[in-house]
Amino acid sequence: MKLFRLMKLKMNSWAILSFLITIIIMMPILFITFEFFTRSSENWEHINEYLLNSYLFNTLLILFFTGLLTVFIGVSMAWFISAYDFPLRGFFKWGLILPLAIPPYIGAYTYNGILNYTGVIQSILRNFYQIEVNQKYFNIMSIPGAIFIFSVFLFPYVYLITKNFLENQSASLVENARLLGSNSFEIFFRIVIPISRASIVAGVSLVILEVLNDYGVVKYFGIQTLSTAIFQTWFGMADLGSAIKLSGILMMIVVVILMAEKWLRGRKKYSYSNSKVRPLKPVKLTGYKAWAIFAYISAVFLLSFFIPFIQLVKWTFTTYKQVLSDEFIGLIWNSTFVAFTAAAVIVVIALIIANFSRLFEGRVTNLVSKIVVLGYSIPGAVIAIGVLTLFIALDRQLLIFYQLIGLTPSLVLSLSLSMLIFAFVIRFMAIGYNSIETGFDKIGTTFTEASRTLGMTVTQTFFKVDLKMIKGAVAGGFILVFIEILKELPLTLILQPFNFYTLATKAFQYAGDERIQEAASASILIILISGVSIYIFHKVLEKEPG
Amino acid sequence: MFVQLKNVSFHYKNTKELTIQNFSLAIEKGEIVSILGKSGSGKSTILRLIAGLEIPFSGSIHINESIMADDKQFIQPEKRGVGMVFQDYALFPHMTVAENIKFGLKKMSRIQKKERLDEVLALVGLKEYVKRYPYELSGGQQQRVALARAIAPNPSVLLFDEPFSNLDAELQIKIRDELRTILKQTGITSIFVTHDKMDARALADRVVVMEEGTIFRVGEPAEVLNNEFTMSPVPV
Amino acid sequence: MSKNVFYTIGLLLVLSLAVLAGCSSEQSQSSNNETKTEKKEAAKSEDKGEVNLYTSRHYEIDDELFAAFTEQTGIKVNVVKGEENELIERLAREGDATQGDLFYTSDAGRLHWAKEKNLLQAVDSETVNANIPENLRDKDKEWIGLTKRARVIVYSKDRVKPEQLSTYEDLTDAKWKGKVLVRPSDNVYNQSLLASFISLNGEDKAKEWAKGIVANMARDPQGGDRDQAKAIVAGEGDVAIMNTYYVGVMLNSEDPEEVKVAEKVGVFFPNQETNGTHVNVSGIGLTKHAKNKENAVKLIEFLSSEEAQGKFAEANYEYPANPKVQPSELLKSWGDFKPQDLNLSELGENNAAAVRMFNEVGWK
Repeated sequence: MKLFRLMKLKMNSWAILSFLITIIIMMPILFITFEFFTRSSENWEHINEYLLNSYLFNTLLILFFTGLLTVFIGVSMAWFISAYDFPLRGFFKWGLILPLAIPPYIGAYTYNGILNYTGVIQSILRNFYQIEVNQKYFNIMSIPGAIFIFSVFLFPYVYLITKNFLENQSASLVENARLLGSNSFEIFFRIVIPISRASIVAGVSLVILEVLNDYGVVKYFGIQTLSTAIFQTWFGMADLGSAIKLSGILMMIVVVILMAEKWLRGRKKYSYSNSKVRPLKPVKLTGYKAWAIFAYISAVFLLSFFIPFIQLVKWTFTTYKQVLSDEFIGLIWNSTFVAFTAAAVIVVIALIIANFSRLFEGRVTNLVSKIVVLGYSIPGAVIAIGVLTLFIALDRQLLIFYQLIGLTPSLVLSLSLSMLIFAFVIRFMAIGYNSIETGFDKIGTTFTEASRTLGMTVTQTFFKVDLKMIKGAVAGGFILVFIEILKELPLTLILQPFNFYTLATKAFQYAGDERIQEAASASILIILISGVSIYIFHKVLEKEPG
Repeated sequence: MFVQLKNVSFHYKNTKELTIQNFSLAIEKGEIVSILGKSGSGKSTILRLIAGLEIPFSGSIHINESIMADDKQFIQPEKRGVGMVFQDYALFPHMTVAENIKFGLKKMSRIQKKERLDEVLALVGLKEYVKRYPYELSGGQQQRVALARAIAPNPSVLLFDEPFSNLDAELQIKIRDELRTILKQTGITSIFVTHDKMDARALADRVVVMEEGTIFRVGEPAEVLNNEFTMSPVPV
Repeated sequence: MSKNVFYTIGLLLVLSLAVLAGCSSEQSQSSNNETKTEKKEAAKSEDKGEVNLYTSRHYEIDDELFAAFTEQTGIKVNVVKGEENELIERLAREGDATQGDLFYTSDAGRLHWAKEKNLLQAVDSETVNANIPENLRDKDKEWIGLTKRARVIVYSKDRVKPEQLSTYEDLTDAKWKGKVLVRPSDNVYNQSLLASFISLNGEDKAKEWAKGIVANMARDPQGGDRDQAKAIVAGEGDVAIMNTYYVGVMLNSEDPEEVKVAEKVGVFFPNQETNGTHVNVSGIGLTKHAKNKENAVKLIEFLSSEEAQGKFAEANYEYPANPKVQPSELLKSWGDFKPQDLNLSELGENNAAAVRMFNEVGWK
């Protein structure tokens, strides 16, 4: 009897929708898992003997130092911006998110273009001062170089999440510490870092996942990591089985990281249900302190955005005549259309599942929320194969139906954009979901409970209360996903329909052929569109009262 | 009996021990009952069970002769007609005072809603604050808005979870007295959860002292509070 | 509980997904039309059909040639531009349902893979046979080479005299210790180079060679082919293994610094006295389940024609496969050379062995 009551209680439409979506999202992942067990992996021993250890070591090395650096840069930026007032603070507040607009592999090409023998620095030294430099000090194509690239272009994840937390939720603690006579250093290390642990961990885990999945930077730099190993076994040895096994290892690392994240975040709930959220008031700085902070932040901004941006602008000017055409209008439209649609779908799904898992806590719901973010841990190309297999199978099922309505081609779904968009949804769900889950965490469940005792159903409450209270997080998630998809490459390359090009594939067309200067026009457009989105994102968050 | 809990047991997820053990209590219509206990005694959980925010593990809950929860049925909180004032008020920050109060008013015309709004605002004495947002109000004012919001839909039972814990002492006494007047005026059956015996004494018709998920003592405030608390005081 | 609200939401969601799928496929259709017919004016094409191409080549010259083909025949060319291995995988998964008619890529090894996976079919066309010499075609006619590239030794004009150079094998000699530059082993061109050595000299010799190169490397393999030329001029090493193609691209770069670099390096065709310089092709194959077979063959014929081959030679610094067409002036200035005498299918057969060998000798 009790079981029956339980079933009735649990099987509401939120649950049904959530399970349905989870199953759909899981299908391509299941296809891959299936191949994990069935495919033979004839080169496994070879991989184990020659590749695995050093590849794993390189991967972990890059992860560790990138994590460390992004935390250092991200948290210090977040702290300075939210606690102090100094010249140009208003601009840096959102300007420091801009590096996210530059795809790391474009950043890698650009930095190499700046630093190498024909780059602007060496050319000037050589042509005007007759200085020949030791190439060792200008070579960025190394593991430290890759760590630099990842750190400068990915730290905004940590910065963004930590800054939001500090601005809105640290006021009383920080002011208390100030009153107790702690100096800035003490406050930073003894108060700021411990209390923002949850946000730091959330941010740095996004960074780590991005790094794990990167292929462009490490490939160009000739660094052997797990993701290069995957492609090398798949493409070099035609051994998809081993490649999938390697992806499995990658996924395991990710699962460990996600578990560590939960554990590191602690069981503390960081929700406020008090209507009084007092923002932290920045202290106005003068004199050398103001200028020291200004110099530090400017340096980070220059390295992570301004310098590569200017270099790309310069290249655009030298090559736009042969590259730029009215085709670019189509490219801009394609890029924004796909990114917009996929981001919208992701936000809707993330809202449904996050709301479900927060209101009906339990083991099953917990599992659901884990599964939907799994896609972020799988290399794009592997997801693409899973999605492709699924859609082709679907098309085969629908063949009779196509013939019935008089369609001639045998592949309809798998040649449409819906396949690409579906793949994006799986791949980037985690980013949207994370943002929305954090939003829900922040408001807690009290408002929902209040609304229900006032006679509103879960669904009515969702639209009237929950959604309105987390709209900042929704907008934030949407824009982060939008930018990610603008930059995305591997999925698009495999799943694109005929004659469908985006800014990213256009940039790749040149960059892949080592023509970074010609790739600049498309890259600049990606950066501009992302930059505008970031600005809008910033404005939306500014308006949020908490 | 207007509100009746029979042998209710409950435990939270991820914990094995029962938060509430075999809890039975009957409350008459119009009665004001105070549940007094230390933190962790399960007193707030009783409110959440009555409101429908938690599902009992066993036992039954009736309100006004109809079953709210037993082994076979469970009525969702929005269908129970129970009002609740939360410890930190839970006023919707994106709505004005008027919008907050009108939130629970359904199946009413616009004019009726307006009338009801004016009525409850008059009751709590906040007429001039209709257009304010919660963060523009003081703690005491927020508390009163929360009360007005809970009263507005005419709930059959009103639940208060530590309603004064965020107020300073002076305000606490003032509002406590006002509250009793309002409650007696409207005749709503009310249950308070508090850890402060002064609250219980000032407000309640009857006091329930809870310890470790069960009733330790029930009775008139004077009798319960005078005898028991000299021996095992509830810390304030 | 108001179930209705739930159902409405669910329904709306499903509907919006459906609409989305609908409009997205419509969208891709319309973008087809935009990009392709715009220039060629819909009137002209009066439905001569189309041909669908999967390509891993990203050159503008290809687009120009496809446009010229449409101009001549009215046949529309639809293109998916991806990376070779992924495209092969996509073709394989699509199976008999595929809409791809042609597979076009810049490595004979990958063409052979596609053939091995039973994704291609034979093309028997008089025109093609007349245009392209037999050794640049698959022995079962399943793919046709269209352009050639030579992987050569590029050297510093300042520090190395061409007389010091002889063969690929000579680069493993102790005199080049710390002077050899080459890109990472995950690159197809390197894999095909080593595969060709496995075919010509046997596994042991090939492995010895790879080991010798690793021992002589000036630095860890990194970057692309162009980066190797720059490293020579910067003094990091004296010789590099590179495709001639990239020297051509750099000589014609918009960046004067790159031109200077290219002018400072020389091109040397190795193994002229022995078994020849390594040559690879860009080639095209007809897919097993092509739906527009006739149009596809027409496109292959067009690409092998003197007109198209001339454009390849001029615009892309590649050697034309059609012997009637002269290479560009630049390529001719580097002189004639003797290529490896090798059926290019073997590059594909030995690819996996080459990759394993690279790993074993520690060529990153």
